Order: sequence, then structure tokens, then C-alpha cells
Amino acid sequence: MNRILEIDIDNIQVMVEPGIIQDALNDALKPYGFFFPPNPGSSAMCTIGGMIAYNASGMRCVKYGTTRNYVRDLEVVLADGTIIHTGSKMLKSAAGYDLTQLITGSEGTLGIVTKASLKIAPLPQTRKLVIASFENAEIAGQAVVKTFSKGVIPSACEILDRVSLQVLRRYDPKLVLPSEGDVLLFEVDGTESSAREAAEQIMKICSPLALSIKLAESENEMADIWAARKLVGAAVSRLDPTKTRIYVGEDVGVPIKKVPELLKKAQEISEKFNLPAMKYGHIGDGNLHLALFIDVLNKDEWDRLSKAADLIHRTAIELGGTVSSEHGVGAARAEYMEAQWGSALEVMRAIKKALDPKGILNPGKLGL
Amino acid sequence: MKNEGKKETEQAKELDKIEIRVEKGKEKLFEVDRRSVYKCVQCGTCRSVCPVFDVVGWESANTRGRMLIIKSLLEGTLPSEDVLPSLASCTTCGICAAKCPAGANPPEVVEAARAQLVKCGITTEAQEKLKSAVMTYGNSLGETQNRKHWLSEIERSQLPEKSDYVYFVGCFDSYRYPEFAKKTFKILQRYGVTLLPDEQCCASPLLRTGFREDAEKIMEHNLEQIIQVGAHTIITSCAGCYTTLKNNYPGELRVISLPEFLAEHLDELKLKKLDLTVTYHDPCHLGRHNKIYDAPRKVIQAICTLKEMKNIKEESRCCGGGGGVRIGYPDISLELARNRLKDVPEGVDYIVTSCPLCVRNLRDAGGDIEVIDIIELVAMAME
Ligand SMILES: Cc1cc2nc3c(=O)[nH]c(=O)nc-3n(C[C@H](O)[C@H](O)[C@H](O)COP(=O)(O)OP(=O)(O)OC[C@H]3O[C@@H](n4cnc5c(N)ncnc54)[C@H](O)[C@@H]3O)c2cc1C
Ligand code: SF4
Ligand code: SF4
Repeated sequence: MNRILEIDIDNIQVMVEPGIIQDALNDALKPYGFFFPPNPGSSAMCTIGGMIAYNASGMRCVKYGTTRNYVRDLEVVLADGTIIHTGSKMLKSAAGYDLTQLITGSEGTLGIVTKASLKIAPLPQTRKLVIASFENAEIAGQAVVKTFSKGVIPSACEILDRVSLQVLRRYDPKLVLPSEGDVLLFEVDGTESSAREAAEQIMKICSPLALSIKLAESENEMADIWAARKLVGAAVSRLDPTKTRIYVGEDVGVPIKKVPELLKKAQEISEKFNLPAMKYGHIGDGNLHLALFIDVLNKDEWDRLSKAADLIHRTAIELGGTVSSEHGVGAARAEYMEAQWGSALEVMRAIKKALDPKGILNPGKLGL
Repeated sequence: MKNEGKKETEQAKELDKIEIRVEKGKEKLFEVDRRSVYKCVQCGTCRSVCPVFDVVGWESANTRGRMLIIKSLLEGTLPSEDVLPSLASCTTCGICAAKCPAGANPPEVVEAARAQLVKCGITTEAQEKLKSAVMTYGNSLGETQNRKHWLSEIERSQLPEKSDYVYFVGCFDSYRYPEFAKKTFKILQRYGVTLLPDEQCCASPLLRTGFREDAEKIMEHNLEQIIQVGAHTIITSCAGCYTTLKNNYPGELRVISLPEFLAEHLDELKLKKLDLTVTYHDPCHLGRHNKIYDAPRKVIQAICTLKEMKNIKEESRCCGGGGGVRIGYPDISLELARNRLKDVPEGVDYIVTSCPLCVRNLRDAGGDIEVIDIIELVAMAME
């Protein structure tokens, strides 16, 4: 179940089995000058099936969108064993419900994906990386809002707060990163001249707010920063071996304009419950990874952790956002579905019941 | 290197075929250092590098799966034989530990978990065979011959009783590759190095597979021998013996690997230049576990041209011979070796390594290029 069945460059798409690893797919597409753009931090280990089930996205979705923007057709085995196709190779279709989109992001609760046709995109000629540091995360958030409102859309826009930077330095001491403040990484891509122009524009827009701002000097420097960024979430123990990062409240998202407010509230929550936190994430699409870390052998810290996570989820909903931007709801966040969706959740429950009346597919997931 | 997920291979099936021994009436309390287990945040980075997962493809056969299983045992799941295929199939190669962003040390956790399973009376037949060989015959191969059979009686009788330096030969060089032992000792003798009067297995196979109490007895025996000879330094040519003597023996033994010893004495060895191109395989227990990367390369480059493999040093891929996997799961073990051979560059005359277990596994994998120990290359350059 991990084969590439067809690379169809004429139709700019590929057909794969769901077990293929994202990086392996992109390695195969590279010689053709194409790529499958959604790139979660887990791209070296996650499967296309998992990405479809969770509508995974990652760092470049600001410009390229999420997995659902690339799924054309799925072969799905339903709960009763029926095999269906949800789409075709067509770019568009006005015939019937869009089952492709229904299955994408359904977390395996409606059927098992056994084949997928995916749109691919041409590899950009070049990428450039602007690294800017700010007095605090809130000001960094303002810089993002300002950049977007001036019409510049980077291919990635990430925030790493000062704790994340400390962790990264421990993880890879060779990394060249600003020594103070909270940092934004803006990646732009395109032709040499369009990328340079966009990078210069970002530097001009952000300079008045920034403590420091610079362009990454080489491809290697960029690659090292991205590689470390991908794994920062798991690396907290490098700072303090008695602490473990616990994945709760780690994936909230809000509309881009509310990002500075979310950052402020996240800081307040971390202080209120006296829990150290690392803030990083895909700030360009309003997705913040708040990494709370605790001593797993300490019960009091577990209690404070679950209260802090609860508050961060409710805060995101209040700000018009979501409890999960890309990691999915699963069982861990099922209790918030009601608060986030209200009566729309009943529609989801009706769909689940129609397609999986016995509740055999990923039971307990999504709060259905 | 990239792992690509589940495979329908014979190797995957081998995991279910093992024979298991469950001793009734044993206590089922499972305890390992919790913090070392909880360090794992299940990010899956190790999934992309675990060589066993690469050939088996099941989540339970990769590091993350093993850590999850150990966590569930800590949290109350009763230890049973069901966990053996997962826990017994780790080669302890350590590439997961090198890559883990959280700084977890999975092979250490796996070894501790295996020790707990042994305490609970849950083992594979292969493990039991290995233990019984070591405890009965003093070597992991079940050999009954004199361990110094590769020396003549006269040579044996002339061994110095006291010396600052001892050559720890190891089970493999003693019984499978006595020619390596001869060549090594020929050089070391020039420096007054002697042998232990009654060397036994270093205890590595016991430690890696969970028989800690038995291992302690053997280690004690070897330590007594070392004290008897009065040696302050042990030289060994086996990566498994090296890491065990250095990191598991009590006290602070000074242990030197053969490549380090050779590199230090290069000038005195008067090696000839050979018109050869070779590649070098880093044994996991010498390289990743103990960071000995430069010494073997220095020795090789003093003799001939070195052309590196695709994945080297910290990134080096396991030959499949360690952690009890060769004896427990020979098909998986040899598939790992075949995968490692894919990293060999074009146009080399030999694959050189510095561990007899790696020599055996890579040879048994059946490639076209001859696999030799570093001592053989050195011996060629001294002819
Ligand atoms: C270090 C790290 C960084 C990450 N960074 C990002 C990020 O930047 N952006 C992002 O979006 N996500 C990120 N993620 C989460 C990411 O979404 C998942 O790793 C990935 O999408 C899931 O793929 P998987 O193969 O791991 O799925 P699995 O964990 O195997 O499965 C996930 C779910 O999908 C279901 N499923 C799997 N295959 C199928 C199928 N064929 N049909 C139906 N259901 C199926 C499973 O039942 C399960 O419920 C990150 C995760 C990690 C560990
Ligand atoms: S890389 Fe480390 S933290 Fe991540 S799953 Fe593996 S052992 Fe766990
Ligand atoms: S030590 Fe090697 S074989 Fe064992 S889990 Fe880690 S990567 Fe896999």
C-alpha cells in the first residue's frame, strides 16, 4: 500500500497508495520538476493516507493551501465494504456532492482511503528566507498582519518564540539564529527576481517593528533552519531533561487578525498556571503551536496542564478560531466539537450514522 | 535514508514465528526508569530511520512502537509474550537515539525492558540458547574448544603472566575468526600485551538481551582476571566487547579499540602503501555508541584509498548483527545487512570494518565485494 501508481505530468497529478511517505513521494516527483506542496513537520514519517485523513498542511500552506486543495479523487472502502470513487482527474465538476472533500479531514471515521489522485505543483525556481526578531511575540504578530495586508504572501511564515530558539540552539548549536527576541521566518519563493523583490518588500515592511532583520545567506543555512524547525516541538527535553512536552492545547488557530491577541492570551495562560511554554507555529495561517511542558512524574503539573489546555481551547473558540488547525480532533479534543460547531455537529453526526451505522470506523473520534 | 512503511515480506512474517518460553509463577511486576520512557513524545522521527522497521514495516517493529509498548507495560498492561516480537527485534543500533529530538535513548530503554521481561520469566528460545551457551561454555557460540586454540601450546605457555596491557579477544575472534586474533596479537605482542589466563565472553550478548544478573557474574570473572594480570588497559578488536567493557563494566577500565591502537602506532608499524580502494562500514557499537569514527579512517588512509559509503559515521546503517537479532531473527538480520550493502560505493576492492560480528553479517548477506576486518588490511600492508 505504499506505491506510486502513476505520475501523470500532462494532467499535473499523481496516483498513489495511501501508505506512501510524503518525503518519498516528493523525492520521486523532484526529477520531473514537481512537488506535492503540503509539508507537515512530520514529512519524513507521515503517510499520504494520514495526511488526507487529517487534512494535514504545514509550513507552506499560507501560499499553497492544505492537503484538501490537492485531492482530486479518492478510492474509499466504506464501512459496509462498498468501494467508491469520490472524484476524477477533472479539474472541476458540478455534478453532485463533493465527497472528496467530505472524506478529506474525516479522520478515518467515514471510510478507508485505498488510493488517491493528487494534484501536484511545479517546483519554484528559488526560495529565500527572511529572519526577523522582535521585542515580543505580540509585535511579531503585528508584523505578520501588516505584511499580509500589504498584499505580500510568503510561501511560509513561522514564529519561534525565545524559548523555542533556546531549544533549537541546544538541538543544533551550529544554527545561525538571532540572539534576542521572538523570531519570524518568512520564506518567499518564485523566480530569482520575484523572490528577491518579495523578500525586500517584507524587510521594508517589518524593519520599523523589528529588533533585527536579515536574509539567510545560503541554501544550507536555510535547509538547516527548516530541518530544526520541523523537529522543535519534540525537542523541549533538550532544555530540561526532567520535562516532557505534552501534546494538549497545541494546535489552536484563529483568524490572522486575531493572532496578536491569541499570542498574548497564550502567554497569560502559561503564566497563570505556572507552566513553561514554547510558542511556535504557522503564524501566517493563524495556527499557533503552544507547547506546554511538564514533569510527567508530578501529578500537580498534570492537573495544571489540563486546566491550561482547556482554557487555550476555549480562548481559540471565543476568538472565532478552531481547537485544531491541522493535527485533528481525534479523541483528545472531541469534547470541544459541540462548542466549536453548535448545531452543525448534528449534521456531521447524521453523515457518520448514514455511512457507518454500526460505528466501526475510528469510534470515539471527532466527538461524533 | 528513508523508510517507506509496511511491507508484505518474509521478514515481516518472521516476527510471528519465534518460539517463546514463559516461566510460570514468576512475578509480573514491570519497572524501568519512567522518565526515560516518558521522554518519548511519539513524534516518529525514529520511524524514518529504524532499520528493522525498514524491512518489517510494522509500527510495533519501530522505535516509537517499542517505546509505546514499554509505556503501556509501565502503566499496567501485564507483561506477556505478546511484546517479545517488538522488544526482541531491536538491534540496539542507536540511530534512533542519535536522531531523537527529545533526547530519548530507546536502545537503553529496550535493554532495560528486556531485563524486566527476563525477570518476569518471558524470553524467546533464542535468548535462552544464547544465555545457556555463555553460562555453560563461557562463550556465546557454545564452543567447547580451548579459547586460545589459535595459539600453539608453546605460545600459550610463554604468555606473560603480568602486563599493563591485555588483548581481550572476544568470542568471535576466538572461535570464528581465529586468523584475525592471530594477526592482531602478532602486532600487539610487540608492545608486551598479554592475554587473560581465562577470558570468558565479555557479557555483551547477555546484557543486550536482558540477562543482567548472569552478565554480572561473567563480568566479575573477567574483572578478576584483569586484576590478576595487573593490567590497566584493555585492547579489543570487537565493537561489542569494546562498548561493554567500556560502558557496562563496573569501575573505570581503560579500554582501547584496535583501530585506535593501530592509529596511535601507525609510524611504528611501517605499513606499505597498497594500490587498493576500500570503503569502511562503521560498526554501530564503535561508531554511534562511542564516537570512534576517525581512528579506523586514519589507519585505512595510511594504507590505501578510502571511498566512503552512502551513510557514514552517525548516519551509518546497522549491519543487523547486534542486539540478539541475528540469532533471534536471522532473516530480518540478513535483510538489514543486504540493505547496508546497498550503501557500498562503486569501484571498491574491499569493504573494511572493525567488528567481527559486522564482518560475519555483511559476508553472509552475500554481496560481490569481499568484507574484511581492518586487521586483515593492516596485515596485507605489513607483508
Ligand atoms: C513532529 C510532527 C510534526 C508535525 N507537523 C505538522 C504540521 O506542520 N502540519 C500538519 O498538518 N500536521 C503536522 N503533524 C501531524 C500530521 O498531520 C500527521 O503526522 C500526519 O498528517 C498524519 O499522518 P500519519 O501517517 O502519521 O497518520 P497516522 O497517525 O497513521 O493516522 C492518522 C489518522 O488517520 C487515519 N488514517 C490513516 N490512513 C488512513 C487511510 N488510508 N484511510 C482512512 N484513514 C486513515 C488513522 O486511522 C488515524 O486516525 C505533525 C506531526 C508530528 C509528529
Ligand atoms: S524520535 Fe524520540 S521522541 Fe520521537 S518517537 Fe522516536 S523515541 Fe519518541
Ligand atoms: S536501536 Fe536501532 S533497531 Fe533499535 S529501535 Fe532504535 S533504530 Fe530501531
